[in-house]
Amino acid sequence: MLARRTLARVGSQPSVLGAAPTNARNMATLRELELRLKSVRNIEKITKSMKMIASTKLAKAQRAMTQGKEYGAANAELFQNAPTETPAKRKLFIVVSSDKGLCGGVHSSVSKATRRVFAEQQEIDPESPITIIGDKSKAQLSRALPKNVALTFNQIGRDVPTFADAAGVADLIIKSGVKYDSITIVYNKFISAISYEAATLEVLTENALKESPGFKAYEMEDDFTKDLSEFALANAIYAALVEGHACEISARRNAMDNASKNASDMINSLQLQYNRGRQAAITNELVDIITGASAL
Amino acid sequence: MSSATWRAHFTFNRYSQICARALRQSLKESERVKAEKRGLTALRYQHWENGQGGEQVYLVPPEETEKPKGSAAV
Repeated sequence: MLARRTLARVGSQPSVLGAAPTNARNMATLRELELRLKSVRNIEKITKSMKMIASTKLAKAQRAMTQGKEYGAANAELFQNAPTETPAKRKLFIVVSSDKGLCGGVHSSVSKATRRVFAEQQEIDPESPITIIGDKSKAQLSRALPKNVALTFNQIGRDVPTFADAAGVADLIIKSGVKYDSITIVYNKFISAISYEAATLEVLTENALKESPGFKAYEMEDDFTKDLSEFALANAIYAALVEGHACEISARRNAMDNASKNASDMINSLQLQYNRGRQAAITNELVDIITGASAL
Repeated sequence: MSSATWRAHFTFNRYSQICARALRQSLKESERVKAEKRGLTALRYQHWENGQGGEQVYLVPPEETEKPKGSAAV
């Protein structure tokens, strides 16, 4: 009960308890402040080093992103010239995020975008399947839309994603036998080193391509159309993966930067408090000694 | 074009990954080391039924290393 008294109350109720306990309480608070100061200093070191690591990784990730986006651009060219007549009822959502945290709002931005699309229903089948890449979004979406989750992947995103990852994901989706009319990839679009936003990429299935009038103008063998749709899916997934990876690294850098700034602000204010407390304790002791000496 | 019998067994993506692997293994030593990194994948996946996740499976099982993990079991 005594320990519960805050510093303010100790100040406003003077000397009922005598000098020694007050001193003891101040020393206890000083000890606490010291511990707190030490731990905040450690945290500042950690967040600073994480920020350094993220900054060095960002350059590599951005280079990979500009190269990877070419794959997505090739897809976009194709689908622009072969649009579908009928809007898709049952869409497959591929949510691109990653396994690691401490990167700001990257995972929740993608999860929220997916939930928004489901909430706005209009023509989307409420049983549309969702596949999730990344444990963080998996945790969020498996709580929000548990019936729709069909397939999840992890262990992508430790290093820059490779086309092998994207091809593996595409193959598993195709082999899993999930039914869909078209595919929507939800990922984070890299706007600048300090901002990103959730965006979607549409990919047509083999049947949709075959039906499209722009495609029917050419005679294509079925085999090649199937190959093209599979490869287009892998391309689109790869483009989304690298861009999402770059967004995650830049978000982590910004988050750790903010954390370091907050930590150094806290260190400053804690240091001032500590000094004030130390000087108050010294002054009290001096007063005790002097009153004691003058009483003799 | 000869009848492509691979289509019965796997997708075009798998076909291109196999060809890419063959190409990477045929490169000169220095280039090969750089290119091998582009073919790495540690992907794991799990199927979900009714809100319950299944078992996590490695797409490419990691190689067994010599050193066994430390264990108290005798």
